[in-house]
Amino acid sequence: MMWLSSGFLFRSGKSFYHRIDPRVKLLCSILMFVCAIIARFVYEIAIVVAFVLGVAAAAKALRRVGRTVAFTSLFSVLIFGLNFFVTRDLESSVLYAARFVGIVVSTSLFFVTTSPDELEQVMKTFRLPRDIVFAFVTAVRFVPVLMLDAMQIMDAQKSRGLEMQKGNVLRRIRSMVPVLVPLVVTSVVRSGELAEAMESRAYGAVPRPTSLVQYRARAADKVVAVAALLLFALTAYSFYVVLPPLGL
Amino acid sequence: MIEFEGVSFVHPTGVKALDGVTLKVGGGETVAVVGENGAGKTTLVKHVTGLLKPSKGRVLVDGVATTATTTAELSRKVGVAFQNPDHQLFSESVEAEMAFALRNFGFSEELVERRVAWGLELFGLTEYRASSPLVLSGGEKKRLTLACILAWDPQVVILDEPTVGQDALQKERLAETIRMLTSTGKTILVVSHDIEFLWPIQPRVVVMKSGKVVGDGRAAEVMAQKGLLESARVAQPQLVSFHGALRSRPTSPFVDPAEARRWIAGERR
Amino acid sequence: MPAMLEVEGLSFRYPESRRKAVSDFGLRVEEGEIVVLAGPSGCGKSTLLRAVNGLVPHMYSGDYSGDVRVAGRSVKATDMRELAQTVGFLFQNPENQIFMFSVERDVAFGLENLGVPRPEMRARVDEALRLLGVEPLAQRAPHELSDGQKQRVALAGVIAMRPKLVILDEPTSLLDPKTASELVGLVARLRKELGTTFLIVEHRLDLLVGVADRMVVMSEGRKVLDGTPADVLLGEEAEGYGVAVPSITRLQKALAREGLVSGSRVMTSAELAAAVEGPGGI
Repeated sequence: MMWLSSGFLFRSGKSFYHRIDPRVKLLCSILMFVCAIIARFVYEIAIVVAFVLGVAAAAKALRRVGRTVAFTSLFSVLIFGLNFFVTRDLESSVLYAARFVGIVVSTSLFFVTTSPDELEQVMKTFRLPRDIVFAFVTAVRFVPVLMLDAMQIMDAQKSRGLEMQKGNVLRRIRSMVPVLVPLVVTSVVRSGELAEAMESRAYGAVPRPTSLVQYRARAADKVVAVAALLLFALTAYSFYVVLPPLGL
Repeated sequence: MIEFEGVSFVHPTGVKALDGVTLKVGGGETVAVVGENGAGKTTLVKHVTGLLKPSKGRVLVDGVATTATTTAELSRKVGVAFQNPDHQLFSESVEAEMAFALRNFGFSEELVERRVAWGLELFGLTEYRASSPLVLSGGEKKRLTLACILAWDPQVVILDEPTVGQDALQKERLAETIRMLTSTGKTILVVSHDIEFLWPIQPRVVVMKSGKVVGDGRAAEVMAQKGLLESARVAQPQLVSFHGALRSRPTSPFVDPAEARRWIAGERR
Repeated sequence: MPAMLEVEGLSFRYPESRRKAVSDFGLRVEEGEIVVLAGPSGCGKSTLLRAVNGLVPHMYSGDYSGDVRVAGRSVKATDMRELAQTVGFLFQNPENQIFMFSVERDVAFGLENLGVPRPEMRARVDEALRLLGVEPLAQRAPHELSDGQKQRVALAGVIAMRPKLVILDEPTSLLDPKTASELVGLVARLRKELGTTFLIVEHRLDLLVGVADRMVVMSEGRKVLDGTPADVLLGEEAEGYGVAVPSITRLQKALAREGLVSGSRVMTSAELAAAVEGPGGI
């Protein structure tokens, strides 16, 4: 469970792609995302996905993004199944499922290569209110802490004879209570302590807080942005004009 | 009772938390496991309850390899009080909290009732029988987690950092409880930084450093080895340093201030 | 000149409680002092600390009477965010006071909130990182730090705001003894280099005997003892109030009572051994 969801979790890296300005990375991911949507044929989507995975490989993040695909594969199958059930059209059903994969990998690429600090910066660029940005940052910051709590709680309850993998569905759900209640309680305690610490460090003192680091787009970032836009235009042109309409 | 045979454990992240640990704890022994944070103490404990299985070597509890059984079965014999009580309290009442494990183990309701009443009495929690465990103070919560474990009468009792956040009086009571458990023949493992708390209990001391056992022996022997303690970043009990600093001194260090005072007064005469 | 901290007749009761958490409490702390506050669990120490930096009554309201002044300003009448520039607060659990994803961003957190301009912020963050010896960790993420490192980083975040008074609420209870005594060493250094005043709640008094100027003991919301560490720890009353008097100090006291050692300060193990064997000794 934990390794699957880690497909969307940032992991620090020093690759070229990691060091690109987060706003440019966002642009790249959006463009790839759009490509997956405007593609009309499965093989076109395959090209987009292969490209995204190529970038991920260059950023040494292929495994994480791959995990996302594995994580969402159930949804892809579901999308395919529902479509096929309704339309009885194999071609379009595969297309929809493939499109979903394309969307997932391009989004995952962004989250995997962008640190929460950078995400915060991007959110600030969009002038989101400070409270929302901060809530987001702390939420992401405390995901691993919460997971650790959950594991410690499970250890404690297992040591009191709790068997979580036994019995029918109802019994398994009931066996979650001894884990969920302490998890909620510790989270509430934690939030209280966080609030105290925030207040003690002048949170909200001025309406426009300053920032220690400033992300300034470097020349390289601008080059990447322009190249991405050009590549996008080229792809869109190819999809609609150059490439042959090829079904399955 | 507990046997570690060349146990190594490597975390999925690649960190080696235990490195060739060999350790034998007999029935009825009281053992303190000391070492700095990250030395592998908690990993050691989790191997006794089968929460972690060794990457190499094996762990036997009461003659049975932990790989051949489940945590649920092992916990019938091994009770662990983890550091943070909030990680386990969930029931609507103190009474139900104590009964939880007993019901998991399939005790009869009549026995559950008797054991719960006994535990509440022992830890002075009877007046809270029907209250929510969440309204208890920090010290009471700690006591409750210990009561929860003793209620099913495990042969082995493990205490993970029992003194964190406890004041002098609470610590004294805890030390009393440990002595009481020792006298009833329980095997006890105490993982703690709190050397001053451990010293008067005079346990067998196991020193850990980077996943290895680097010292093992009677408290008086181990705690006198200044170099060993320093390398493992473990503090020396004050009375032991005092004993070590005396030019003429009795063979073994003083267990408590009263003993030291008596000896000094005797020498003076 | 006003004292760094003046507490006068402070009483506070939480709305859900019948008993006063702090009761008619008075305390005066001069600039540059290190004062240790001791007492059993539930004696009101935490509440008192929170009344000094304004969490009480600004975040926790209740029946409040009396007055708390920090550097001459009334805590009750001053906004918490403004107080944060004079009073820093280090909490027990380092995990729950680190917000950002890199150490240096976290150390800057308070300064960002205050709107300090970037160049000045940079300088103050670097200085705090240096003072706490965590420069090499500047780019680390919180989950890559040990508990001891986290606590140092959190203290760096407090120090970066250049508070005149720093409150430490059981800062070492989750640390091992060596790491804990290193943190205490840092406190002594900060007082020396920056002249910072410290108010510390701590159960492990053995760590603090050497650096504290004063010890104040609380019981049931009231101040019951106030004096030098020697006055308090060598006195007859402390243990009765549930203060964890270190074992070596208990021995010193017992020996002094029989006239086997003399001296008015709290001794370390080595000092006591020397005193016992010294002139007139055994």
